[in-house]
Amino acid sequence: MNTVRSVLQTAVAISLAFLVAALFILLQRSSPFEVYRALYEYGLGSWFSFTNTLNASFPLILTGLSASIAFSSGVVNLGQHGQFLWGALVAAVAGVYLKMPGWFGTAFLAVLGGLVGAGWAALAAFFKRKYRMDEFISTLMLNFLAEYTTLYLATYPFLDPKAYVPSTRMIRREYFLASFFDVNLAFFVAVFMVFLSWWFLWKTWRGYEARMMGYNKLFATVGGCDVETDTSLILILTGFLSGLGGALLILGGTQHRFMKGIGANFGWDGVMIAIMAQNSVVQTLFYALFIGFLKNGAVGMEFETSVPSEFVMFLQAIIVLTLVGARSGFASLSDWLRARSELRRLMK
Amino acid sequence: MVPVLTQLLHAALSSATPIALAAFGGMFSFHANVFNIAMEGMMLMGAYYAVYGAYRFGHWAYGVLFALLSGLVLAMIFSLFAIVLKVDEFITGIGINMLALGWTTYSLRATFKVKGAFISQAIPPVPKLRLFLIEKIPFLGEVLSLHPFPVFVAMILAFVFHLVLYRTTFGLRLRAAGEEPVAVASVGLSVRLLKFWSAVLCGILSSFAGVYLSLGYVTLFSENMSNGRGWISLAIIILVRGKPVPIMLMSIVFGILENLGLLLQRYAVPPQFTAMLPYIATLFVLYSYARRSSST
Repeated sequence: MNTVRSVLQTAVAISLAFLVAALFILLQRSSPFEVYRALYEYGLGSWFSFTNTLNASFPLILTGLSASIAFSSGVVNLGQHGQFLWGALVAAVAGVYLKMPGWFGTAFLAVLGGLVGAGWAALAAFFKRKYRMDEFISTLMLNFLAEYTTLYLATYPFLDPKAYVPSTRMIRREYFLASFFDVNLAFFVAVFMVFLSWWFLWKTWRGYEARMMGYNKLFATVGGCDVETDTSLILILTGFLSGLGGALLILGGTQHRFMKGIGANFGWDGVMIAIMAQNSVVQTLFYALFIGFLKNGAVGMEFETSVPSEFVMFLQAIIVLTLVGARSGFASLSDWLRARSELRRLMK
Repeated sequence: MVPVLTQLLHAALSSATPIALAAFGGMFSFHANVFNIAMEGMMLMGAYYAVYGAYRFGHWAYGVLFALLSGLVLAMIFSLFAIVLKVDEFITGIGINMLALGWTTYSLRATFKVKGAFISQAIPPVPKLRLFLIEKIPFLGEVLSLHPFPVFVAMILAFVFHLVLYRTTFGLRLRAAGEEPVAVASVGLSVRLLKFWSAVLCGILSSFAGVYLSLGYVTLFSENMSNGRGWISLAIIILVRGKPVPIMLMSIVFGILENLGLLLQRYAVPPQFTAMLPYIATLFVLYSYARRSSST
């Protein structure tokens, strides 16, 4: 019953968001119908669009997963952007200079990227543990440091002199991730990580501790959880997921090199996906695919109509706000109705 | 050495202003116990609409007007979600920041037909003020004079807001609403209304910080130009526990650091590293705050 209700709520909220966005499209003197049709056609309409959407969503799945697991454990890791960038940069650089047999090399680079992301997050974990610095702001600040440092590394030491924008050289061809019926293997890795994360959270005692910590830190402490270690562990683990996302973008994306702006908005997108998914791992997969669909469709929307692809960033924010607003609104409405009927009963 | 020092302090005041103004905005939320992290987005929106208004109508005053209205609109949206619909404040804040980023990036493309940044000779910047008399004082005159007027507004506001918070009924009620909402409600005042006012003030001040960014500090709008200043202001508020005058002083410290970075660039330190200084400083601020609160 509850699932049905939440699915209905979500459907209503998303429709509402599309309606609000339609008003803005009308203000631009474009036809919302045309825009949404283009969005659909290029996002889902054909096998080609569909596989493109899957390929666009694997970084989102991983950053979303990272944010979801962190938030559901009460750890405010907002450092997905920085962890992602480090994973991407190190995988890109190692992919140029290290010589390894193909398959092993790809796997090695992916894990390496993840570990570097984990290392960057471990910095925040160290700050938290040693100096009690709140991870909320420290991970944010580390994002800026990562942004500038990786840009520096791509602009000076590892610059490809032939590139138009600051970027590293293309990684060795044998490390490119293969596609399986047009779906890049990176997507399957991301989905596998969703299952792995689900298993971790719901089937291991560490995961149990993490979830308890998310419900109530004090309860978890009293119940005998080592909250400090759990917090550090979750930070590092979620850092690994973001870093893996960055590495996979290099290995399985379209550029195969680290370039300025490659991190795009994946970090904050991940945070928004986690918010929409209410930190549930399985829902994260769904919303990441949804956002991937919007992003992929946006390219076609710009191609077919006069609405620029940046519109989707705005649409995304509207969807997030409408969704959380509607959920909260529904909850207070049903509370109010229940209170009223209770009052009626007492008055009789 | 002295000209370098005056230049540094002059520029420091200039870079401190947007951080201080946004921090004043967040300060009201802080005292009303609203966890408002939307300064970043409100600042960005203000910066965009300042350029929009000034460019469209040819006068900076329109820029200010449009920016403040945009801040007000975001404050309304914030209140609608966080206060009326009771969405988590943190989530609302992130939503607002994303909304501002998405909307400004999109509008930049849709309205001005450019990607990345809009630069034009036709954007009138806010006027710079000369201070008569003070201007004549050596050193001090050079540091203080010839700033765009929001710099002085920020400095004056530090003292005005001190009085507002600690000497007026509104300030008392606001702080009470934050510390003991039940007590405030028991004397017939609306806690939600006070929280709403704190959000409005935050919207207006943060968007005014945006005006300064796009019409004073530089005269252009670029994508995501607030670039973390809203987050830095949040760190400052937490550090000084929302006191207006210390907010101003801490902002100046950040301003000095930012410009120290620019100074280092002259000595061939890559710009990517010097640009990091304010963020490293924020980490340090966090560290010293954590140190202090664990010792008391």
